[in-house]
Amino acid sequence: MTASVSSRIAPSAGPPIDAGARATFTRSIRLKLRVPARLRNIELGLLLLACGINVAALALVQLGALGAVHAGIQVIAAGMTMLVLAMHVTLRIVAPDADPFILPIVTVLNGIGVAMIYRLDLADKSAGWTSGGIRQIVWTCVAIAITIGVLLLIRNHRVLQRYRYISMISGIALLLLPILPIIGSAKNGARLWVEIGPFSFQPGELGKVALAIFFAGYLVSARDSLSMVGRKVLGMTFPRARDLGPILVVFAASMAVLVFQRDLGTALLYFGLFLVMIYVATGRSGWIVLGLGMFLVGAFIASQALTYVGGRVHAWLDAFNPAIYDANGGSYQLVQGLFGFANGGLIGTGLGLGRPDITPLAASDYIVSALGEELGLGGLFAILALYLLFVSRGFRIAFAGQDDFGRLLAVGLSFVIALQVFIVIGGVTRIIPLTGLTTPFLAAGGSSLVANWIIAALLLRLSDSVRNQPRLVVETEPRDQLVVGQ
Amino acid sequence: MGGLTLLILRLAFLAVLWAFVFAIVYTLRSDLFGHRVRRMPTVAASAAAPVAQPVLGARTAVPTSAQSSTAARRLVITGGAKEGLEIDLPAEQLTIGRSSESGLVIRDDYTSTHHARLLNWNDGWVIQDLDSTNGTYLDGVRIIVPTQVPLNTPVKIGTTSFELRR
Repeated sequence: MTASVSSRIAPSAGPPIDAGARATFTRSIRLKLRVPARLRNIELGLLLLACGINVAALALVQLGALGAVHAGIQVIAAGMTMLVLAMHVTLRIVAPDADPFILPIVTVLNGIGVAMIYRLDLADKSAGWTSGGIRQIVWTCVAIAITIGVLLLIRNHRVLQRYRYISMISGIALLLLPILPIIGSAKNGARLWVEIGPFSFQPGELGKVALAIFFAGYLVSARDSLSMVGRKVLGMTFPRARDLGPILVVFAASMAVLVFQRDLGTALLYFGLFLVMIYVATGRSGWIVLGLGMFLVGAFIASQALTYVGGRVHAWLDAFNPAIYDANGGSYQLVQGLFGFANGGLIGTGLGLGRPDITPLAASDYIVSALGEELGLGGLFAILALYLLFVSRGFRIAFAGQDDFGRLLAVGLSFVIALQVFIVIGGVTRIIPLTGLTTPFLAAGGSSLVANWIIAALLLRLSDSVRNQPRLVVETEPRDQLVVGQ
Repeated sequence: MGGLTLLILRLAFLAVLWAFVFAIVYTLRSDLFGHRVRRMPTVAASAAAPVAQPVLGARTAVPTSAQSSTAARRLVITGGAKEGLEIDLPAEQLTIGRSSESGLVIRDDYTSTHHARLLNWNDGWVIQDLDSTNGTYLDGVRIIVPTQVPLNTPVKIGTTSFELRR
């Protein structure tokens, strides 16, 4: 650590040496210091444990559902392990000081998701390359490959600040792409997908990364004028319209998603991201009050005016009412998920031994209830603890950051994950009305995996470039030890 | 495969999952609970000194634009174990604390893990105390809110005091 100290002592004793002669003398010495990659070794240890957990999860699924272990899926899943290890090697080369916990946490979450989707395949008797589990593994491999690409391509996160308006435009474009007539497609009532030939993609997932970059880049330059300049109304300083302009554009776009694409969850996610980043940048709690007020008014109007939102609220408040339970678009799915949790109990029925396939969409929106049934409260809390650790690492990276852009970006990216987990798991466990979002890293869905792995890559890059190397270490001289007691 | 074996495997899986969580928490314990106070071997303490260059060579490295700005450019330790050492201030901020992630690591019995930070604000340096246990003193007065640090004014953290100089 002390090797990077660039310090000097004030007066130098000894004979003066000619500066030029010393320079050539110094240049002739070639020292190669091998700094032990302590963080990467921690990561490797945790990563091996993580891969072991993933293999065990798949094996337990097969033992529970089929009664014997088959090699088939394990061989395909080994490709995923290989790529994760390739990413570890990449980090050793291009980001040796990156956070050592993010990659193992993400690996375990992804692996548990794959095991559960494979388990639902077994229940549905679907196999081969079109089955959900194998598709998920392939998408994971694609996502990790893209992540490695991002790490290799973006060597310094400050480059992203230059592209803030490009990310704004591409974020909004990605968000609104599914509205387009030919390529846009609606599934389960929400118009969120783009279909080109056999491929379908959910562009809004990538949009959240682009918008986080935009908010961070924009707020760094605009936060002073946002928090200082403006007119005071009702004890709160409102910024000038020209400072707010780009933000209002983004806000309007996310509200358009709510109305035209009929997706409450994505709109909530974007709005929450917008609110938190503006609060972190300006430090004014008035934004939170204003934003939550706007959101509550908007949510109330939406629940009255838009039938699908109203239906979700009824299914949430009165889930066990037989009329709502049996209604089309009623609470059947929600209640089946809750029954799943109840069936799981404290330690769960065991992987492959429950009936999570009864719940509709158990592989995507309801993967948490499937996991709650088969791993129980104990397993689900471990998964939540992993999310907590992931998000806390993100905030830690933001706290230790050296530049404002990096700090804001780290806060935004980790908050997106936190909010998404809250919206999905809160909806499935009936804490808030259900809104369709994917559980990060766990749920089936390629676009979600790619977007969340990119978030992990950006956090790794940020943690590498913002890690504070000590400039000077001051340690007191050892003194007489203070002996307490005898 | 008997039911009992499967039950044991199931419980073992949950145990391993939690072991993974606690392995992470154990590894980052210093982040959660702060650094433990412990005596460092003197070898480590003196390791910083040989790297220090004489002021003669470094003076030429300072760009001449130093005169154009009134902001402090270096931090000089004026009291404590490393008296006389100085470092160049970074562009935006310098974190001070016992944590090894701090920009200026001070390990003594009085320093908190994340003790204080120096921020570059409008061409001047501001010191902010990060709720440290034993406080940060600017010119003998304990600071509560982020305070502008004038040039050549002693800031005291634990047993170490330093000044900002141009």
